[in-house]
Amino acid sequence: MDAASTICTQSLTRRFGEFVAVDGIDLRVARGQFFGFLGPNGAGKSTTIKMLTGLLAPSSGGIEILGLDLATHPVEVKQQIGVVPEGMALFGRLTGYEFLNFAGRMYGLDRETAAKRAVELLDFMQLADQPKKLVTDYSHGMQKKLAMAAAVIHGPKVLFLDEPFEGVDAIAAGTLKTMLQGMIARGATIFLTSHVLEIVERLCSHVAIIHQGRLVAQGALEELRSGVEARTPVPGEGLGSSGERLTLEQIFLRTVGGMRRTDQELSWLG
Amino acid sequence: MTKAGFTARGSQLRAIAWVRWRLFVNSLRTTRGKLDLISRSVVWLGFAMVGIGGAAGMGTAAFFSVREGKPGLLTLLLWPIFFFWQVFPIMATAFTNNPDSSDLLRFPLNYGSYFLVRLAYGAADPATALGSLWSFGILVGVGLARSRLLPWTLLVLLAFAAFNLVFMQMIFAWVERWLARRRTREVMGILFLLLLLSVQLIGPLTGYFTKRSRPEVRRFAELLLQGQKILPPGLAARAIAQVSASHLRAGFYSLGLLCAFVLAIGCCLHVRLLAQYRGESLSDAAASPVLPQDRRLRLGWNLPGFASPVAAVFEKEIRSLLRSGPMLLTLIMPIFMLIIIRFGPMNSVRQSEMAIPGHSPGLAFPAAAGFALLTLTNLVYNNFGGDGSGIQFFYACPVRFRDIVLGKNVTHASILMMETAVVWVAVISLYGKPTLSITIATLIGLLFAAAVNLSVGNVLSIYSPKKFDHSTFGRQRASQITVLISMGVQVLVVGTAGSAFWIARHYGNSRAANLTLVLLAIIALCAYRAVLRHIDRVAREHQEMLVAELCRA
Repeated sequence: MDAASTICTQSLTRRFGEFVAVDGIDLRVARGQFFGFLGPNGAGKSTTIKMLTGLLAPSSGGIEILGLDLATHPVEVKQQIGVVPEGMALFGRLTGYEFLNFAGRMYGLDRETAAKRAVELLDFMQLADQPKKLVTDYSHGMQKKLAMAAAVIHGPKVLFLDEPFEGVDAIAAGTLKTMLQGMIARGATIFLTSHVLEIVERLCSHVAIIHQGRLVAQGALEELRSGVEARTPVPGEGLGSSGERLTLEQIFLRTVGGMRRTDQELSWLG
Repeated sequence: MTKAGFTARGSQLRAIAWVRWRLFVNSLRTTRGKLDLISRSVVWLGFAMVGIGGAAGMGTAAFFSVREGKPGLLTLLLWPIFFFWQVFPIMATAFTNNPDSSDLLRFPLNYGSYFLVRLAYGAADPATALGSLWSFGILVGVGLARSRLLPWTLLVLLAFAAFNLVFMQMIFAWVERWLARRRTREVMGILFLLLLLSVQLIGPLTGYFTKRSRPEVRRFAELLLQGQKILPPGLAARAIAQVSASHLRAGFYSLGLLCAFVLAIGCCLHVRLLAQYRGESLSDAAASPVLPQDRRLRLGWNLPGFASPVAAVFEKEIRSLLRSGPMLLTLIMPIFMLIIIRFGPMNSVRQSEMAIPGHSPGLAFPAAAGFALLTLTNLVYNNFGGDGSGIQFFYACPVRFRDIVLGKNVTHASILMMETAVVWVAVISLYGKPTLSITIATLIGLLFAAAVNLSVGNVLSIYSPKKFDHSTFGRQRASQITVLISMGVQVLVVGTAGSAFWIARHYGNSRAANLTLVLLAIIALCAYRAVLRHIDRVAREHQEMLVAELCRA
């Protein structure tokens, strides 16, 4: 595999019975990249992220994170990565502080460091004002911030985020973006999936698009844009008509061919 | 309600029944679902045997009491039915099936339908099935003894069944409400502590009264006997007895009073269900004020001799359990069992020649300690059930599953040790001090039983997990495969330990039993160690199923 890549997969495949959710994808994510992983619903994004973080075993293919084979060195890999999975993986009957303290210790921090970082993270995420509130009573946005805090408490080199901005208000999203950009500036690698393409466009330097389990595009955002513009020039859109570049949404729609049927309408809807 | 309203309600109820049926059919798509059905059938077969046997017994007793002209004795049958109906769902939550109906509130379901659905869900419960079967046995017994009493007895027993059903639902709904809030949970905790303290006084007081003033005890017993007559089981028995004696007006009066009880309890249930229907949240969120930040650094717990992740899991488990009112209630059940047996109906024969051995401290301590272990089965056999989507965290963090499982086992073992100590104190207070040899034999037996249960529980927790919300009361059921296997394990453990005692007694050597149990405990501990050694591989192989089951919404 590619030794220079932080995240590297080779023919990564995952089948569920007859259904192929992820079909032989080869991902390359270099150190320090803010990498956006896009795709329509059911394309295989969450399945891929689960395989990359050890939450789901691949049917075939290989995964290397930071040069370590995930299959043979799962604990070593997990020590260096952080993950916010689809279901957020929280324990509802703990308070935010208790959960972060627990997460820190499970990631190998000593008791003092875990406690200090838990307090710092609660402050940073603006979750410290209700210390006795249980996680189960947190709002969705608060839970998201807490899951993010737990994923970074040990200072991971690689961070995997599945829909980190879903259900998060603008203020909280701003806080999260600041934190993520700070991590990138310090050399961490971030791999995120999101349906909010504006955020991905603003944050990510590199993007991959998965469609029906297959990787249909991968590279720097500018490379993708140029490639799509060259391949599918549409009059009235993109460079050449008004002089504006294609947005990530336009790139995405052209890549996955997402056109809605216009002949169908639900006439009974008010 | 208009005809259209009735039609709409009927359509909704049919839709709910259809959904429940589809959920059942769809669950059979997986092997686990099919195995669950088989296990459930076996469990229900067991219940059916108990139910039919009990019904035959109740029927025979009812037949003779009516034929001998003593229908008032029916009260001795109806009180146990009442207690069983109410206590069994709390003591055996693994069999309780009372699904959360609050999910239905997103639909335009009117309150009447919601109330009916909640009652219908509650009726599909082993306690209700057994209670109904036994009541049916009484009906048949009375009918065979005096056929003209049959319609009236049917009416009375229907009212009695309605009372039990509504009362059980009412208890569940209110206890869940009280246990949901930290403040009320603490009040209940204090009440329980007071109860424990008062238990200490029962022994001396009983001794004092039985030695010095028997007439007072008799008067108290007579008072209790009079008091029970105005309570539902007593009223039901009286209603039948009065009509049997041709006192129709008094019979109607008793039945009316019984129906008034049903209405009153129904009103209490209505208050709770209406609050739920209007979207009440039982969480602490609303009661949680914004507090000034606590700047003191609170370190996590340290567990001497164990790695940091094991201590972290232990702390997490203890904190979570302390916030789970229903679990705490389950854990104190052994004490209630001791109290019920000590002061229950069987106690009346305590001083007589028919005294049953259950009242001796030599048997009370092993029985209560065994029951303490049984109350832990919900936790031990479903280690990860309460974690829900948190299971993903365990797979994502760089900790071996062995340490995570060990942390959970240490928690369960600690609870068992604490419970055993409390039970020991309660046995001393209520029954007298068990002998040293019995205490030692029980502790060794418990070590053997705990090691076996933890070993099997660890494996089943991965093979047959079930998402479990420890904050809700009696609305969930453990995997039936797990229930069946855990019952098998208990039979095996009790059988093995019992055989050891029997053989030792047969040869007149009590030490032999202890030695056998020590040997068994060593073997069980070796098996436990072997399970822990392989648990990482098992967890990895079943990762997908475990995550899918526990992350299910």
